Amino acid sequence: MSAESSTAVVLWTTLRVAGAAGLLIAPLGIALGLVMARRSFPGKSIVETLVALPLVLPPTAIGYLLLVLFARGGWLGERALGFDPGVLFTWRAAVIASALVALPLVARTARSAFEAVDPRLELMARTTGMSRTQTLCAVTLPLARRGLLAAVALGFGRALGEFGATVIVAGNIPGRTQTLALAIFNEIQLGDTAAALRLVAITVAIAFALTWGIERLLRGGARVGA
Amino acid sequence: MSAAAIHVRVRLPLARFALDVAFTSSARSLGVFGASGAGKTSLIEVLTGWRRPESGSARIGDTVLFDSGAGVALPIEARRIGYVPQDVLLWPHWSAGRNVRAGAARGGVDEELFARTVAILEIAQLLERPCTQLSGGERQRVALARALVSRPRLLLLDEPLGSLDLPLRRRILPYLIRVRAEFDVPTLYVSHDATEVQALCEEVVVLESGRVAAQGPPSEVLRRVRAGEPSYDNVLTGVVREVRGGTAALELTDGGRAFVPSRGVSVGAHAVFAIGSDEILIALDAPTRISARNVLPAVIEAVEASASGVRVDARLCVEGRGGSDETGDGTGARISASLTHAALDELALRPGQRAHLVFKTSACRVLSAAA
Repeated sequence: MSAESSTAVVLWTTLRVAGAAGLLIAPLGIALGLVMARRSFPGKSIVETLVALPLVLPPTAIGYLLLVLFARGGWLGERALGFDPGVLFTWRAAVIASALVALPLVARTARSAFEAVDPRLELMARTTGMSRTQTLCAVTLPLARRGLLAAVALGFGRALGEFGATVIVAGNIPGRTQTLALAIFNEIQLGDTAAALRLVAITVAIAFALTWGIERLLRGGARVGA
Repeated sequence: MSAAAIHVRVRLPLARFALDVAFTSSARSLGVFGASGAGKTSLIEVLTGWRRPESGSARIGDTVLFDSGAGVALPIEARRIGYVPQDVLLWPHWSAGRNVRAGAARGGVDEELFARTVAILEIAQLLERPCTQLSGGERQRVALARALVSRPRLLLLDEPLGSLDLPLRRRILPYLIRVRAEFDVPTLYVSHDATEVQALCEEVVVLESGRVAAQGPPSEVLRRVRAGEPSYDNVLTGVVREVRGGTAALELTDGGRAFVPSRGVSVGAHAVFAIGSDEILIALDAPTRISARNVLPAVIEAVEASASGVRVDARLCVEGRGGSDETGDGTGARISASLTHAALDELALRPGQRAHLVFKTSACRVLSAAA
């Protein structure tokens, strides 16, 4: 396999894994953000702590927990489910690992985006006759949209660079689970400095574009909220 | 008058005191008057459902908004209240027009009502504009339109002029008066401005530290509430009969005539104007060869002396209602004048005495003059 085509495969795997993780955590993270910003319920602080936990835990610990969970005898393993979920050491495992690590970033950024929306604007919508759902769709989400987009982009970015959890549950299988982060590690291990540098350059380019976009979204969002 | 009676009984602990009010009114425009921090906005937010009272009930006509005893609380969206808060709360991501149309989330836009509201509030040229680009007065009118197209059973206006500077207030007040005339919606008008309450309300409830201190016709209640203050705005209404040389002659609603500045005033218009009590002189003999245009015969009703000065309440004499043309009887508009103790001593004013109230045309401030 030529260097170009193997780089393309790594890039494709990376985007596929991060994209799928992004799609998974966008609705989940936004919903969690909304609940944390607008609802109060018993045990809210426990939920908030659990959601934030992956930010603090070493990704390798998260990877190991997932490994145990999806192992044959685990809670989500073959014995418990009655069938093989086919997760471990597949690209699906990489998706789950990076999603879990990126979820807190999405949820917390989404929470800030919702908190920046004046709740009285929502109450006013209800007063004019809108239901809670109509208010959410017509007022809350549009007003928070920049912050929410930034949240998802941030989650996507985090998923893009995930290494520690992924390497444990998904392995480092070229063409299947080997993402940019894993490939860079691989090339360094093999001592191929040029290849490692090439992959790092690609990663920097993607990260730069993403970070620039997120900054623009967040700054624009602050202006709208002001 | 088809206005539904409003019954309110609310208890709600606030930071510095407990809001504890009870009143009933069938006035079509009811003022809630009080200094800032008297609990006015909290009361409004209990009615909209934005705040939950500790206990109490509120009813508009037959509709129970909430009743803690019966465990009833209508959801916010079912209350059908048109609310214009102090900060207007237009949705910043929409145009003015979209804001107004969204007001009719309940049951869709009634195009006829929409067109009429837009015309009365003169906002047609604003509808396409993003509402972040509207001026303070424009935002008020758009928010008022949004509240009106929602076909509310009660309109709540919280200090609608409070955030505006004085010249702008002068421009918005006529719209509020026009809305009162054109829409058959009972309105609760919250204000700390006695002049506005007099210009807009049939009845007023005075709140002090969360409690009802007084209730009644604004001209009487506010005169009493404001007794200790040096100046008081008399608010009078009338129809413009003649405009000449910068002066408009008004036939006052309660009888009598007055002259006011004619800027923006045309014959036939219903004018509302204010004259400060400290702008009025009292003459026992009719002054002659005097530049002031308003020399109005009146009968003194009450004389109240306080530390800050003397307040004299008088009623204008109405020609043809008994007595001669010059004097008439004292059944016209009620006007208060502020005097010093020295002036009171010299004139020895007492109730029942005839006098002349003298004030300059230019001292009158026309608040509204709608055709």
